[in-house]
Amino acid sequence: MKRIVDVNIPLGPIHPCFKEPIRLKCEAKGERIIGAEVELGYMKKGIERIMKGRPWQEVMFLAERVCGICSVIHNMVFIEAMEQISDIAVPPRAAYLRVIANELDRMQSHLLANFSYCYTIEHETLAMYLLDLREQVMDELELLTGARVTCAYIIPGGVRCDIPVTEAEALPASLDRMESDLCRYAGMFECGPMIALRSRGVGILTLEAAERAHVVGPTARASGIAVDCRQHHPTYRKLGFVPITRPDCDNFARVMLRFDELFQSIGIIRKCLQELPKGVVRGGGVCKAGEIRYSGEAPRGELTYFIKSDEFGRIVEIQIQTPSIMNIEACCHEMIIGSDSIADVTATFVSADPCIACTER
Amino acid sequence: MTTYLYEQDLVPQKYRILVAMRHDRLVQQISLELDIPVQELRRYLIGHLDMIQLENLPARAEMAEDHADKGDAVARALGREKYTVYLRILPGAAMDAIFSEVTTRVHAGASMEDAVAYGRIQIREALKP
Repeated sequence: MKRIVDVNIPLGPIHPCFKEPIRLKCEAKGERIIGAEVELGYMKKGIERIMKGRPWQEVMFLAERVCGICSVIHNMVFIEAMEQISDIAVPPRAAYLRVIANELDRMQSHLLANFSYCYTIEHETLAMYLLDLREQVMDELELLTGARVTCAYIIPGGVRCDIPVTEAEALPASLDRMESDLCRYAGMFECGPMIALRSRGVGILTLEAAERAHVVGPTARASGIAVDCRQHHPTYRKLGFVPITRPDCDNFARVMLRFDELFQSIGIIRKCLQELPKGVVRGGGVCKAGEIRYSGEAPRGELTYFIKSDEFGRIVEIQIQTPSIMNIEACCHEMIIGSDSIADVTATFVSADPCIACTER
Repeated sequence: MTTYLYEQDLVPQKYRILVAMRHDRLVQQISLELDIPVQELRRYLIGHLDMIQLENLPARAEMAEDHADKGDAVARALGREKYTVYLRILPGAAMDAIFSEVTTRVHAGASMEDAVAYGRIQIREALKP
């Protein structure tokens, strides 16, 4: 006779499917998950505390070290916040180059997220294809900014350097190659029957639950919420940006939405290259005193910096609200609750693209 | 004696989350609203919420400001959805009981302020350890 046992199942802090350490204490009734508790603190950096009292010239390097996967957007949001405080204008060419760097960063992050998901559901072939494609995106990012991660490309009043002529000429062809590969990989995911079994209807996050937990980014957009900070960014508005949503609310929707956004990012970069204005890329400016709340769209969603600076541009107060805080909370207290199988917990968790480095800061 | 490798005392870490700039502002605001000493509220939150829920408190509070208890003035004044569905500080059943008591008092002719003040005392009682 089948016995149903109530058990507590700890997942992590070290788990083959997790990129970073986190501990989930799942309460299960048989195979059904009825509760979960999250334990953080395995990689706390205390970066906000380190930032306090330091000049912006040091803090901009610290900001991009919050997260190694989405370092460009941390750099961009911090610098744009300081620019807003100090009324520093950005040359149009630099604004477009920022968008290119940001979209390349988003592409590599989405590819890594989808790689992780495929790896978690044991589709290693597709996972490795995606990781290979990510390397090509990382190469393009390196050619543009000079580094793979922690590029420090965005500075107050512009960007550190102009796009090299050879890169500007080679990038469109490279984007075409990536797009054709991506078409194939997205098709493999969309039509894979075993993938659908593990992903469709699993890890449901309803629109109401997503709104309550302030879920952001692809996780929110896969639940039908058209929320994206790029809609309010002046350069993206010039480029006619419209967010993509999916109504399905499950793991499959979250991964497919990231595929959709990869195509969208390729389109945005192409448009930037076509419309790239001429002129300088460094306008200069002086950071001043002020207080601001500024948000930008990171690959995982809305990234918000709360900054107070003094007249010398030193950071007096700072708090960073990263998208993974909201997404992990919703994942652990909404999505995985009611999962029919313990095996779905890791897949659902990874589908939300959690970044523990961001969460712990 | 057996000591478990990962079973740590999380109180100091949870406390550090709650004393961050925005979290502290929110805790002070709730403590004023419900007239509970700040340290007592912090202790309650540490005891009842896990680390990620504590981290996400300000974001949830923002959503509660925008969306919670839209139609009903009594529910809005009491923070019916805010404290149960959004911040998850109170269990829904306890809040429902308090809400129905307050509504009954309002229907019986008590002033809104008095009824809500009574409701907040009940919430305070429910939050006691």
